[in-house]
Amino acid sequence: MTDATLSKAGVGADTARVSKLQAGIKKRHARERRFKLYGVLAVSVAIGFLLLLLGRIIEQGHTAFYAHEITLPVYMDPARIDRTYPQGTNFQLMTAEQELKRLGIQDDDKGTKATAMRSLFSSELKFRAAAIVRDNPAVIGQTVTIAAPASDEADLYYKGEISKATPADQRRLSDEQIAWLDRMKSSGAVRTHFNGALFTNGDSTEPELAGVLGAVVGSALMLLVTALIAIPIGIGAAVYLEEFSPRNRISDLIEVNINNLAAVPSIVYGLLGVALFINWMHLPRSSPLVGGLVLALMALPTIIIATRSSLKAVPPSIREAALAMGASRTQTVFQHVLPLAMPGVMTGAIISMAHALGETAPLLLIGMVSFVPGIPHSAVEPTGALPSLVYIWENASERAFHERTAAAILVLLAFMIVMNAAAILLRRRFERRW
Amino acid sequence: MKFPFSHTPAKAPDGREGGEGPIDPTEAPKMGGQVLTGAGEPPRDESMLTPTVKEEGAHSKAPTVTAPNFPAGPTKIAAREVSVFYGDKQALFDVSLDIPDKTVTAFIGPSGCGKSTFLRTMNRMNDTIPGCKVTGRIEMDGGDINARAIDPVLLRAQVGMVFQKPNPFPKTIYENVAYGPRIHGLTSNKGELDGIVEASLKRAGLWDEVADRLHSAGTGLSGGQQQRLVIARAIAVNPEVILMDEPCSALDPIATAKIEELIDELRERFCIVIVTHSMAQAARVSQRTAFFHMGRLVEHGNTEEIFTNPRERRTLDYITGRFG
Amino acid sequence: MIWFFLLVVVALSALAFFGGRGLAARRAAAKGVRAHSRPTQHGLYALIWVGAPSLLVLILAGIFSGGIAHHALVAGASPEVEQLEPFRREAFFQDAYLVGAGQPAQQIWPAPLTEQLTVQGRRSAEIRTVLNVGTGIAALIAAILGGLYVFLRIRPDLRARNRVEDWIGALLFACSAVAVLTTIGIVFSLLWDSLRFFQSVPVAEFLFGTKWSPQIAIRADQVGSSGAFGAVPLFAGTFLIMIIAMCVAAPVGLFSAIYLSEYASRTSRAVVKPILEILAGVPTVVYGFFAALTVGPALRVFFNSIGDLLIGGPLNDVGLYLSLVQNQMALVAGAVMGIMLIPFVSSLSDDIINSVPQSLRDGSYAMGATRSETVKKVLLPAALPGIAGALLLAMSRAIGETMIVTMAAGLAAKLTLNPLDTVTTVTVQIVTLLTGDQEFNSPKTLAAFGLGLTLFLVTLVLNIVAQRIVQAYREQYD
Repeated sequence: MTDATLSKAGVGADTARVSKLQAGIKKRHARERRFKLYGVLAVSVAIGFLLLLLGRIIEQGHTAFYAHEITLPVYMDPARIDRTYPQGTNFQLMTAEQELKRLGIQDDDKGTKATAMRSLFSSELKFRAAAIVRDNPAVIGQTVTIAAPASDEADLYYKGEISKATPADQRRLSDEQIAWLDRMKSSGAVRTHFNGALFTNGDSTEPELAGVLGAVVGSALMLLVTALIAIPIGIGAAVYLEEFSPRNRISDLIEVNINNLAAVPSIVYGLLGVALFINWMHLPRSSPLVGGLVLALMALPTIIIATRSSLKAVPPSIREAALAMGASRTQTVFQHVLPLAMPGVMTGAIISMAHALGETAPLLLIGMVSFVPGIPHSAVEPTGALPSLVYIWENASERAFHERTAAAILVLLAFMIVMNAAAILLRRRFERRW
Repeated sequence: MKFPFSHTPAKAPDGREGGEGPIDPTEAPKMGGQVLTGAGEPPRDESMLTPTVKEEGAHSKAPTVTAPNFPAGPTKIAAREVSVFYGDKQALFDVSLDIPDKTVTAFIGPSGCGKSTFLRTMNRMNDTIPGCKVTGRIEMDGGDINARAIDPVLLRAQVGMVFQKPNPFPKTIYENVAYGPRIHGLTSNKGELDGIVEASLKRAGLWDEVADRLHSAGTGLSGGQQQRLVIARAIAVNPEVILMDEPCSALDPIATAKIEELIDELRERFCIVIVTHSMAQAARVSQRTAFFHMGRLVEHGNTEEIFTNPRERRTLDYITGRFG
Repeated sequence: MIWFFLLVVVALSALAFFGGRGLAARRAAAKGVRAHSRPTQHGLYALIWVGAPSLLVLILAGIFSGGIAHHALVAGASPEVEQLEPFRREAFFQDAYLVGAGQPAQQIWPAPLTEQLTVQGRRSAEIRTVLNVGTGIAALIAAILGGLYVFLRIRPDLRARNRVEDWIGALLFACSAVAVLTTIGIVFSLLWDSLRFFQSVPVAEFLFGTKWSPQIAIRADQVGSSGAFGAVPLFAGTFLIMIIAMCVAAPVGLFSAIYLSEYASRTSRAVVKPILEILAGVPTVVYGFFAALTVGPALRVFFNSIGDLLIGGPLNDVGLYLSLVQNQMALVAGAVMGIMLIPFVSSLSDDIINSVPQSLRDGSYAMGATRSETVKKVLLPAALPGIAGALLLAMSRAIGETMIVTMAAGLAAKLTLNPLDTVTTVTVQIVTLLTGDQEFNSPKTLAAFGLGLTLFLVTLVLNIVAQRIVQAYREQYD
């Protein structure tokens, strides 16, 4: 129909109405487009933030996955090595002085240059050299080649984090030290390799030796305790509340109570942990046992809620069929309902474990702020955990810890992604649609 | 942006008062009896023009029809070969039907037969269902409503809809009725809007009951009152067609009677299409009836013909209750 | 030790199971009658009666032996140890426990205490051994007694299945009691230590005082608290950061929810929803790191440069101020907290909007409304109570959040509503008070519990109100 036809069309009132309708429609469609745009913008902003977050962390953390190693010939000076106690020898100073001589640099009588050179090598040098001497005392008097990690500042320089452009008083390496590093590199003594120490060592005050393994084992022990406590109790409570308890005011109150517990801030659980487990029950501070107990209390409400909704999803006809066959209530629940609800229950359990893995605040309160070297062996000794390690490293003053913090975050995120993916796969594979 | 508003009768067959009446032998037998065993059946007795009530043994179970002379209008909506697909499943097969103006046309048939689906094609509500595809041609006043140029938003200002379960918005009664005129920009001041609200509520037969509580919640009314409120809401934008999808199935008999009365009054101004699962209601309320079965239009015609002397075996079986 | 005992209990229970099963079968065959319950159920009954008492003993031991050992150790301590301040004394006993367990002490102690450490360490180990052996014997006795009881009772007419099911019911009830006990525990522990705090610091001063500087005399002989415990600056800081966070999260979250539920195609929804869930799953410590090392410096540089531009011009004072803002602005923590809350708000709102019945949407579309008009005029007003509840829950979450503010906000309490200022929050102070140099039972440490109680009550009220609103809203549409 053409506009001409329209204008010829009948009654006057209709034409007025037509024009009114058509007058507004353009604006309405413009508003519709704008509104949709806001929605797209909002979603893009959310996704953008996620990408920014991940991007920055990867950008900051990927350098932590490789490290520099300096290989030097070391003359095992018999005059300076203590045969009976090799670790007591100051291998670093010895190596530094030898390197200075090799570079043809004269030191002053206070030995300041040697001290400066020494700080370019990690203290690991001492342990490696001592081990060599211990294993083979015959090397004393000979020259051996030892490779040791560069110190954290030297490593940062090689990675480009410390640059000559910054004024000398604002950086940790002097011009002189930088010149030496350049010479060592050009002579081929410096090698890049995968920073395995990050994954095989426990925490250390020296960044180049610091690793996440202690924290990973601590977190694993903690999650084990949490899972062993929270999952059975949570499933038991949900089964009771959903299948057995009479529907009265008390069970309503319990449900409200559980919903509230799920929303209580995590730091309040930390306070509960301090007051109950540490001050009253005198359980060992900063142990996976206490951490696991606190996290179990935190995870309990979410597991109960997830299990209840899985149980609710099983249709009543299953229960009725079992009861009609003469099964008791308990048999119906444990032999029919619960197995059918299991995929949902397990998914909920895995997801709440993944959440528990990332919780930090309660761990800080129960004592996991301190420096814990070494790898834990039991659940009752003081350990660290991954999230609290991130917190500790973030507060550390050495610059080299920045990249390691980001790397530790990537390890943490990797674990969480694996757990969440497992939960989703489980749900996809086993979930039934009624 | 073109939009078919015109009321010029597109196809006014000469000499006939009603929309369909007996089969015009000059027309191709597309109307009625899609799946035909008797495509070539001889035309009916011309005396069918005067509605009578037939009392025959075979039809003794059919509802009685009272259909006084009705001034039916020209064809308002003409559907040709309309099919509807939900994804791969076809729900409606090549339905062709003319719907006359100023008449109540009833769609009857067992559940799942496609009558609601076909109803919804007429105001393009199927567009809101993802994966739904409509083929064929639906003309209103000569223009295809599925044409790209037609804005469904404006179409729905022309074709109103009432649903099975009364769905007033959670707003006041006034705001419910004012919703349509407001969004379409049909009024410029409050006085006009008040007038439209009052007129619509009066026409829907609800004014006396709610005049003193226009600003109370619409959801606080009874079921029958809510349905009348929804009808008032639909009328407020002055549409040309009102589609009703089983409007009384959620109401009690008294409210149903009131709505049926209202429908009878409304048909003087509007073209009304009503889907109903109650044959008695169709017989009471409509002048034209179309019987759908399994996605196809089986038969259509004047209501009393359909209910007293249907042409198709299936129609007969349905109205006598052999299946449903 | 504990694993060993658990293994023994498990082994005994397994023995009881098989024994009971066999016994039931034999006794029924001997009498020639059909037993009421199947032999397996008798076996289970035996298992329960042997395992439960001993397990109970082990649990009670686990709960109380720590305290008993501690008191025994303290009671027999030497005078030098007694002279230490409470905090140092506690740390000493902790180290004694560690040394006794064969691990290195965590701190270095001056000379007279070092030998004491070994002595006390040995004592600690002895006490523990005594307790452990005692526990083991008690558990064994309990198991034997239980076993005797049950083996006498196994008969064909024993309704073993019913008994077992009663036990199972009781066990399940106990599990749900744990949830209730947790709440009671939280309330009780917060109240207990808060009341002790309020004995030193009056409630009015805490709730209404405007100076927060919890410097307490380190040594017990410096009498008189020189600290101020007015928490109003903390409340203000928490509030400020929460408002900033909601300004970011509410619009973005709400609009993404609207887009996802009303506009997005199935494929977009299937792609975007998991991404939002990933955002929701990121631990808050990661957000804290992001705030401290990326957002903080970036915003500081931004404002500083604007400040530098403004210096010397008409807005000189503003410029001076801006060029001095720090990394720990409230804006930084608030913005990152808002980012964290976006998926929370979005998924709650998505649920709420989806609860609005389709009939309302149909009614609106049938009237010729566009999608945005339907959302703005029908859906959002209908969903308003639910969305309000969702926002309240988000606010409660923002108030209780710890890691982001601990890593990105400051420590100095300042009463201000300026987002560019450095503020501190309730949660930051709780962490600082309990992880810094602590002394137990001083008002300083106990203040953490007072803050915790306040935090708990406020979030509890918000949560209850929010849940009531959402429940009433849902009931409307069911």
